[in-house]
Amino acid sequence: MGRALRTPALPGGRRRCVMWVNLAWLLLLPWLGGTVLLAFAQERRYTVAFANLTEEPGTTLEGTGFTGRDVRESFVLAVRRYPIDLVFYDNQRDPRKALANVEDAVARKVDLYIQYLDDPATNIKVGQRLRGAGVGVLAINTPVPDAPLYTMDNRVAGRIAGEALSEYGGRNWRGLPTIGVVLGHLQAQAHRVPERAQGATEGLKRHLPAIRIIPVDTQGNPAQVAPLLAKVLASHPSTKILVAAMDDASALAAKIALESAGRVPDGAIVGQGVDRSVHGGMNDRKEIDPSNRGSIVVGSVAFYLDRYGYEILPLAIRMLRGETVAPRTVTAHRLITAANVFIEYPPYDMN
Amino acid sequence: MRRKSLFVIAVMLTSLIASVPAAMAQTDCKTIVPASPWGPNDQTGATNRVTPAVTKAAAAEIKDGKVVVMSYPLTDGIPLFGTRFTKTILTATTLAPGGALGENQLTYMEDTWLSQSHVGTHLDGMGHIGRKDCYYNQTPMGKFITQNNMTKLGLEHLKSFATRGVLVDMVKVYQAANKFKGNSACKKPCLEKGTVITKADIEAGLKMYNVTLREGDILIIHTGWGNLFEQFPAQNAVYNSGEPGIGKEAGNWLVSQKIVAVGSDTWGVEVIPGEDPKEAFIVHNILLTDAGIHIIENVRTDLMAAEADQTKRATFFFSMTVPKAVGLTGNFVAIEGIR
Repeated sequence: MGRALRTPALPGGRRRCVMWVNLAWLLLLPWLGGTVLLAFAQERRYTVAFANLTEEPGTTLEGTGFTGRDVRESFVLAVRRYPIDLVFYDNQRDPRKALANVEDAVARKVDLYIQYLDDPATNIKVGQRLRGAGVGVLAINTPVPDAPLYTMDNRVAGRIAGEALSEYGGRNWRGLPTIGVVLGHLQAQAHRVPERAQGATEGLKRHLPAIRIIPVDTQGNPAQVAPLLAKVLASHPSTKILVAAMDDASALAAKIALESAGRVPDGAIVGQGVDRSVHGGMNDRKEIDPSNRGSIVVGSVAFYLDRYGYEILPLAIRMLRGETVAPRTVTAHRLITAANVFIEYPPYDMN
Repeated sequence: MRRKSLFVIAVMLTSLIASVPAAMAQTDCKTIVPASPWGPNDQTGATNRVTPAVTKAAAAEIKDGKVVVMSYPLTDGIPLFGTRFTKTILTATTLAPGGALGENQLTYMEDTWLSQSHVGTHLDGMGHIGRKDCYYNQTPMGKFITQNNMTKLGLEHLKSFATRGVLVDMVKVYQAANKFKGNSACKKPCLEKGTVITKADIEAGLKMYNVTLREGDILIIHTGWGNLFEQFPAQNAVYNSGEPGIGKEAGNWLVSQKIVAVGSDTWGVEVIPGEDPKEAFIVHNILLTDAGIHIIENVRTDLMAAEADQTKRATFFFSMTVPKAVGLTGNFVAIEGIR
């Protein structure tokens, strides 16, 4: 057997030639292999479905000022860096529509389904159907059983706001009578605002443990901020007021209420969300702006719904490549102020 | 004797403390911006590459003397970036009755042009873009600015731009690759804003006309987006809302190609919105701050793109004069492509 495999002896010149050819092959093979692999890697594209919560114009999401369009746009921009073709669906906050979207996606043979619907019961059915069809699922903000979840953390966001206010009060008004106000649609369970309010309350007590906190529930109507806050202001003359607003619209309304009452020197406000109503481009001159550092709206806690695509597609691509993804990934909420708004949201829109 | 020693120590300490900010600024810039390949005193950047040999070789592109306009009209109402403005005021006092001068009744007119320098078809100079206060060639710019201008990296230090221009037609590239996505506001095909032009796209554009970039070239990218500029003021808001353009990978590749400048029919040459929402005009940093490669914005590219399409030749002699504007960060320019 050994004899059969033995290469016949070659003359010296020919042997050298064969040696050079072999060497060339040795050098070429990895290159050829690499090229083939690269071509394969470049050719492999995935189809990913993204079913948005709702894209109804003007409808805001999660108790913030962001709309479904903001979320969708973030996916459109973020997908540019991935070998992914996105298929967009609008769940219209409707269980029937959500299930119909899933059927369409299964028929299209998508590789992954990103589900954004705030209806746990429907999400169970969505998960079952997709699993049955062999399609992976990634959920946003409301779980789909056994699927990785990307979610905001309302309690942490609230706590960041409360701590910022508490630190502000401790630094500027130490020894002066100070109250905290938790302001907004406080019973909005669907938007998990109660968690946000709880976090804000905890945060307010961080540096001012004895602070009295007054909940002011607007029932979701920002127009109620002025009259409700006016009552609080009137009943607390000569008192400093730290306002933890549950959304940016309420924060801006609170500012107007304090101005109307002539109590600007007594107030500090932190909002939640950081949509374009409070920050803007180079020339927008919005409330949170480097040229507006003296505002009593000290800042707002970022929810980044306009970055969801950038946060969620990296998880999606890892799932598609068979890598492990944590069962729960949480938004890294941050306090955005005049000092960091242009770092966090560099303006590019030059209108 | 002891008092003298104390005095000397005090002087030394004062000198040390006084020198700390400058030393720190320089040290910081050395970690933030690369050194120029043309030495620590270089204020010229990539136009160092335009040698007599490069200009002579570029002159070979002039075959029949045809001149193609590559700049847009400079007039009130064109799209402008941010708070920029233009305002022209004509002085024509001698045209008033009795205003003419002498027996020959001489009259004259002149203009007042109020504007920022980065308007219309314009060149970004070395002092335009930095990281923190660190600019091209590790220049701690905080030490080199006055109320009026820069005392380093001004346009007066630039050499000639008399070199070869190379056009890549991204509209054709994207159409050929069956990935073209346009914007309905454009009256001619244009790439949609946010389209990231990659190294592979540029290479495809070069291959389309069988061109290879060589050191000292100026690359001009036709995206079609300039059609919105041409419609001024009707589409100014759309024009300014974003743009197709090169991404980071393409920017880095262009640096490796040792070109002199890159221009496009957009207001910022790079893709907007950018690839990472937390980065601001990062390709400007890559090209200008790090490599001294100029950016030319609002270049009129459609005529040269049509010319290239017709003749199957995408190279030309790049004719552009930049005023010796002392201490300026940029200036509007007129460009002609000569064939």
